[in-house]
Amino acid sequence: MRLSRALWWIVLVIAAVFYLVPMLAMARFAFQRIPVIKLAPDNIFSKWTIEPLLNTFADPDFRQAALLSVLLAVATAVATAVLLVPTMVAAHLHSPRARKLIEVSAVLPFVVPAIALVVGFAGAFRNTVPFFIRNPVGLVPLYMITALPFTHRTLENGLATLDLRTLVNASRSLGAGWVRTMVLVIAPNIRASIATASFLAFTVVLGEFTIASLLLKNTLPLYLAYAQGQNPQGSFALGLVLVVLSTVFVALSNRFARSVTT
Amino acid sequence: MTRGITFRDVRKTFGATVALTNFDVTVHEGELITLLGPSGCGKSTALRIAAGFEVADSGDILIGDSSVIALPPSKRGIGMVFQNYSLFPHLTVRENLEFGMRVRRVSRAQRATRVDELLQLVRLSGLADRYPHQVSGGQQQRVALARALAVEPRVLLLDEPLSALDATVRVEVRDEIRRIQRESGIATVFVTHDQEEALAISDRICVMRDGRAEQVGTPQAVYRYPATSFVARFVGKVNDLEVELRSSTTVSLRGHAMEIEVPSTTLSVGEARLLIRPEDVRLVAAGDPRALPGTIENLHFGGATTSVEVFITGTGQSIQISDVTRAMNFGVGEEVGVRFDTDRALVIRS
Amino acid sequence: MVAGPSKRRARHLAFVPYGAFLAVFLGWPGFYVFRSAFAASGAERSPMIEAVTGQFRGSFVYSLQLSFISSLIGLLIGSAVAIALVRLQHVRGLRNVVVGYSSVAANMGGIPLAFAFLAAFGMQGLATRLLREVNIDLIGWGFRISDFWGIVLVYLYFQIPLMTLVLVPALDGLRRTWHEAAQSLGASSRQYWQMVAFPILLPAILGGFLLLVANAFAAYATAFALSSGGSRLVPVQIRFFLQGDTITGKTNLGYALAAWMVIITTALVIGFQLLARRAERWRR
Repeated sequence: MRLSRALWWIVLVIAAVFYLVPMLAMARFAFQRIPVIKLAPDNIFSKWTIEPLLNTFADPDFRQAALLSVLLAVATAVATAVLLVPTMVAAHLHSPRARKLIEVSAVLPFVVPAIALVVGFAGAFRNTVPFFIRNPVGLVPLYMITALPFTHRTLENGLATLDLRTLVNASRSLGAGWVRTMVLVIAPNIRASIATASFLAFTVVLGEFTIASLLLKNTLPLYLAYAQGQNPQGSFALGLVLVVLSTVFVALSNRFARSVTT
Repeated sequence: MTRGITFRDVRKTFGATVALTNFDVTVHEGELITLLGPSGCGKSTALRIAAGFEVADSGDILIGDSSVIALPPSKRGIGMVFQNYSLFPHLTVRENLEFGMRVRRVSRAQRATRVDELLQLVRLSGLADRYPHQVSGGQQQRVALARALAVEPRVLLLDEPLSALDATVRVEVRDEIRRIQRESGIATVFVTHDQEEALAISDRICVMRDGRAEQVGTPQAVYRYPATSFVARFVGKVNDLEVELRSSTTVSLRGHAMEIEVPSTTLSVGEARLLIRPEDVRLVAAGDPRALPGTIENLHFGGATTSVEVFITGTGQSIQISDVTRAMNFGVGEEVGVRFDTDRALVIRS
Repeated sequence: MVAGPSKRRARHLAFVPYGAFLAVFLGWPGFYVFRSAFAASGAERSPMIEAVTGQFRGSFVYSLQLSFISSLIGLLIGSAVAIALVRLQHVRGLRNVVVGYSSVAANMGGIPLAFAFLAAFGMQGLATRLLREVNIDLIGWGFRISDFWGIVLVYLYFQIPLMTLVLVPALDGLRRTWHEAAQSLGASSRQYWQMVAFPILLPAILGGFLLLVANAFAAYATAFALSSGGSRLVPVQIRFFLQGDTITGKTNLGYALAAWMVIITTALVIGFQLLARRAERWRR
């Protein structure tokens, strides 16, 4: 048993190395002002600076892109919750078949790759409702669709644990209308799922490149790609920051999810 | 003894907790022994050590006449039935039964015959091609039993096989297990916390507590002559009365002068407790000079027998009496007399 | 509670926003893609046919190869990591750390990932440089991060954790009693895995594999950032044709490529559903 256990540790260690090396390399390139060729054991710890990152933060293009991305992320998270929660509650109350139907429909985006979705969207809306293409707000529905399989699953897990019918009947019998019921009774009970789904939507938006790139919207991932030319160290540094941010997000959402399921 | 299992001075600790100590039990061929006790008493640990899923700190396990302590579970020649999730969910009943044989590379023809035999043994011949989730819990356990017997083990180990079943099904499956065990004559260790089960099917019971065997004996012996107050309390119901030990053969209830004869004891005079079963106490008419006076507080009609709670005047204690309904001609609130039949009573220190 | 006709209509009303949303933002673009793909463009043959012949056929093959190979390797290694977690589950906190980071890595893609690998294994990469110190000259051996195997390596970064995330819950579902029952019936470890564990895990494994393939097939940003090797991938080519109409008259080809992507992904999903259903026969 000793031997096999050691074997599995080796697997994990190799995996860990594979995961850390690119991150470390990215950090090194971003924050150390020594070209790789000139690296030697004696100067490994010298010339480290966060200046490239600060340069990026100072760049007005970056600020614009960051702002846009955050706004889009928030809008996506909110819009997803507002659209999905009432729909899924209605499905749960209606019938198992309705539930199943929603479930299948939530997996559909999976079948349509982002690139296909965005070119179809652009073509369809260009001649009819060009507003959605010109204005960044048009990204929101596309992001919602992209995140749908994951957000739906998360909310479904949350709703499945509730005795929805009882809650709704109780609330309605006390005189609350549908909106009140939704906001004051149901939402608080699936708080964790909504939070997790929102975090997921957030992560998706912050990392999404394909759609924004084709619609020529300057979101953060696009800024990353194009700033590479002018300030390579800065954009690499920013990339690292985004990764760290995502990690924090995921950790937070896991903590949140666990606090309610227990 | 060619087929049977022996626990020899087995000891097992988990960190600071002693799960099993000085555990010595021999199960003979054809015998069904039940390890009975509350949760945490070590009964499951003992079984798992016998099977090989836990390793004892010291001691030995012998199957047949040879030690198996160094062998992995797959080589001990055991058959095991678990509390739940025994059957492989992805295999039909037939395929589950065949499993042990396929592992031993038995030919298809032989497997088929044996499977039919086994299905007949547990009386489930029609269910061969169903999947576990398509049959009831009781049926699943019967299949699990048949599967364990398929490869003719030397010893059968059952880990609370009835605990997860509905009460109504439990008795049926329990009797099936006993019938099959008798027919196959295989040494069996049965673990349960349900004393009724133990009394019903065992050849011998091993009552366990805190990692030790408190008493080993036939169901009758354990019930009628409990060795300790724990056994008396755990197996069946028992009254626990505060008494004053007047001499080595007499006690009296506190608050009452009347002396009651008890089996000779070596305890010294003074405070003591009397353990006596409800069916060893009788109700007589009030005013009977050889009885203690009391009032009926509660009556529980149980069909053939009735359980009565009587408050014994002047003593501040109540006593449970159980007798055939026909002998109970009293109602709640009535005054009665209480007489003790102390042949099998137990006197212990407080 | 039996609902009258007006009540039922009201109930159905609740689904209208969602249905409309899907129809407008998923259905319509999808419809548009297929309509444009099948529209005659005056050229000799239908764009749908042209999209899978000649050089484009090579693109699809390349994309699919990349997807399947990265998914296969991801399957093997991801499974190994998941099993390692189960074998070492007594180590406190290990599982949380690995699963947590897997969640991040699985969703990582796009630009930061490409950057990281360029920084590590590019011509001027840190790892490339360090390996040269121990006489492993990746560049000299012809390894390029922008070539096929380079991209596979990059894709593995999110393929492996994705598989791990799928498999860990499935492994949790393997009841201990099944293992013990198999042992009590005389099965060796290998026989247990072969006859019990693997068949039970098969639906999850197939589902995971599908997820990986679809994920890799649709991936765009990473390959885009790594350039040269990426330009042979279908998503990148779609962009080429449809970004600002660089080549007029050929837009329908772009749509055809997109339509074929949808068809292939759909086929993959259906194919795997069928396989998974067969493997899961015993569950119904």
